[in-house]
Amino acid sequence: MRTYEVLFILSPQVTEEEATTLIAEFKRVAESTGATLKSEDAWGRRRLAYVIQKFHEGIYHLFVFESESSLAELDRRMKNSDRVLRHMIVRTDLDLKRADKLAKRNPKKERLRPAAPPAAPAATPATTPAADEAPQA
Amino acid sequence: MAPAPAPRTGRGGDRGSSGPGGQQGGKKKFFYRRKRVCKFCVEKIEYIDFKDIKTLQQFIPERGKILPRRISGTCALHQRKLQAAIKRARIAALLPFTAD
Repeated sequence: MRTYEVLFILSPQVTEEEATTLIAEFKRVAESTGATLKSEDAWGRRRLAYVIQKFHEGIYHLFVFESESSLAELDRRMKNSDRVLRHMIVRTDLDLKRADKLAKRNPKKERLRPAAPPAAPAATPATTPAADEAPQA
Repeated sequence: MAPAPAPRTGRGGDRGSSGPGGQQGGKKKFFYRRKRVCKFCVEKIEYIDFKDIKTLQQFIPERGKILPRRISGTCALHQRKLQAAIKRARIAALLPFTAD
């Protein structure tokens, strides 16, 4: 199962009703290709960091999908829609898994390292941040 | 939060005073440089999210460029992830490509 984050920016000219129908439409398209919506976040109107198609702001919306296959159809729809200023589909499950692994591995290493040199354990209980710096430097 | 930004601000101050400070300023710079640690290692942030603009902005100076590792002290692994996250944020118009 893959996890995708879909962030897209709608044109600021789009009315609120139109925005909700577009969002519902995109959701339907993704779900028809076998994706399930995990979470959704409407950021609303936001100032763009730079001008896109002469617009200074846009309506941001974020989907998080779980899917077995790619979201190619949704990608195509968004690309073709002139209401969407920009869209981005990012696969996050692999990175999150790796991050999880790293988070689990780090404390173990820190436990092993102060134990190896005999001088280190004396210093470690008093100042933990110092112990953290030492193995990295 | 506290340990990571402190060295950076310290250095920023150095930069401003490097003219009149002369040799002593150089010594100080060296001192601060050795104390810098990776913010993400300290805070145990393993996944750098491109949507988390507050974190990313700490590594974006005024010009909009990505702060180099030698200044921020970020470790190689996290700098790579940070760089990818910043680039994604730029595409999503959350951060500028350039600012003047």
